[in-house]
Amino acid sequence: MHRVAITGLGCISAVGHTAPEHWEALKNGRSGIQEVTLVPPEQLNARVAAEVKNYDPADHFETKRLSLLDRFTQFSLVAAREAIADAGLDFSAGLGAETAVLLATGIGGITTLDNSFARLYGEGHPRVHPLTVPKLMVSAAASHITMEFGITGPSFAVSSACSSANHAIGEGMWMIRTGRARAAVVGGAETCVTLGTLKGWESLRVMATDTCRPFSRGRRGMVIGEGAGLFVLERMDDARARGATIYAELAGYGLTADAGDIVFPSEEGAAGALAMALQDGGLAPEDVDYINAHGTGTTANDVTETRAIRRVFGERADRLMVSSTKSMHGHGLGAAGALELVPTIMAIRDGVVPPTANFVEADPECDLDVVPNQARDVPVRAALSDSFAFGGLNAVIAVRSAD
Amino acid sequence: MTDIEGKIISIVAKETRRGSEEISLDLKVEDIESLDLVQIIFAIEDEFQIYVPQDDEGFKLETLRDVVEGVQSLIAQKQASA
Repeated sequence: MHRVAITGLGCISAVGHTAPEHWEALKNGRSGIQEVTLVPPEQLNARVAAEVKNYDPADHFETKRLSLLDRFTQFSLVAAREAIADAGLDFSAGLGAETAVLLATGIGGITTLDNSFARLYGEGHPRVHPLTVPKLMVSAAASHITMEFGITGPSFAVSSACSSANHAIGEGMWMIRTGRARAAVVGGAETCVTLGTLKGWESLRVMATDTCRPFSRGRRGMVIGEGAGLFVLERMDDARARGATIYAELAGYGLTADAGDIVFPSEEGAAGALAMALQDGGLAPEDVDYINAHGTGTTANDVTETRAIRRVFGERADRLMVSSTKSMHGHGLGAAGALELVPTIMAIRDGVVPPTANFVEADPECDLDVVPNQARDVPVRAALSDSFAFGGLNAVIAVRSAD
Repeated sequence: MTDIEGKIISIVAKETRRGSEEISLDLKVEDIESLDLVQIIFAIEDEFQIYVPQDDEGFKLETLRDVVEGVQSLIAQKQASA
């Protein structure tokens, strides 16, 4: 089995338009959560979101092509370009056929669908735009990445709500491990700051009306974030042979299903995925220094995740740093694991653990070191990134230093 | 039983799949399954055309009796501001 190197990062989020900008903001505890601008705030009760700001599609795409690209596909392409350029890979000389594209999204082209339905049902227009279907399909972003870069290997979309990106990243890792692909472009994108989507979340009554305060007393729920995170994975041997910059080794992947509740998380399911990620990565609890938590800021998640970490890590749990960067880039849903893998990797690379922002006061039920409000300069040998989705589909990624 | 009380009881009965006669005003809100609860809140908001606040510290609902009183006050507020 081949070891897997991460050699390219790309990201666009509420806190930055590139992976370095995203990381710079997160390690400085800078939150991108603000009052919504993409939909009229007066139509909402929970009026905050982590939107990508100062984004002009014309900076990235020709007008003609934009009619084919939903916002989630645009973000996917922007981040894919950055990651592929960062890795310095060229797909033309045969590598394209040996490369996979696994692009995750929870809901796909909902902006297109929302606009289309507003036009049809709301405004009473008899017809919708002819490119509605190819724009909104959840696999559109995966397809556009293959087309732009001439990648012809195994490619598809991955969807498992808030675990989507981690599933895409983990499955991409397995393709390289087993030799099915030599390289992979993996990650996730989500852009669901639409009126229809936000009203749906609001009705579930899990949305914070102030901001996202994971693991903190006084937390009121989650805040939706948008963005995309993309990664280039390749065989460790290939990366070393061509002298590529290796950010980290993608070491392990654990995945389980709770078979429980459609919204409530289970400690057993989460713990199972954590334990499997450690085992798959050949890591003992003592080897791990940092966990980028799922940490949504809901009452239920943060307590359950704390218990799951304690169950798997035992005494080591008191030495772990566990932070939720959702406090800054929001809950990226299908992109969450991707927005969070950037800081997980960079924590190892830079020896800086990003904080849990907006933290007010310790909650005795979340009694881990959640790195409140201030980043910490400390070496990180290995780290996990947790995703525990609605519907109980769990996926945990393990990365370790490639040095 | 007031009209508001009757409507709320029938909403709770429907969403919790019980008969109205089984629903007491002493029913504790925390004993309602949470997915049922969000659907009850939705149905109440829809029925009375009000918004039930989520984070209002002064709006503590412990029993169904509190819910009925809360809804009455929200309706009164709405009528006062209309």
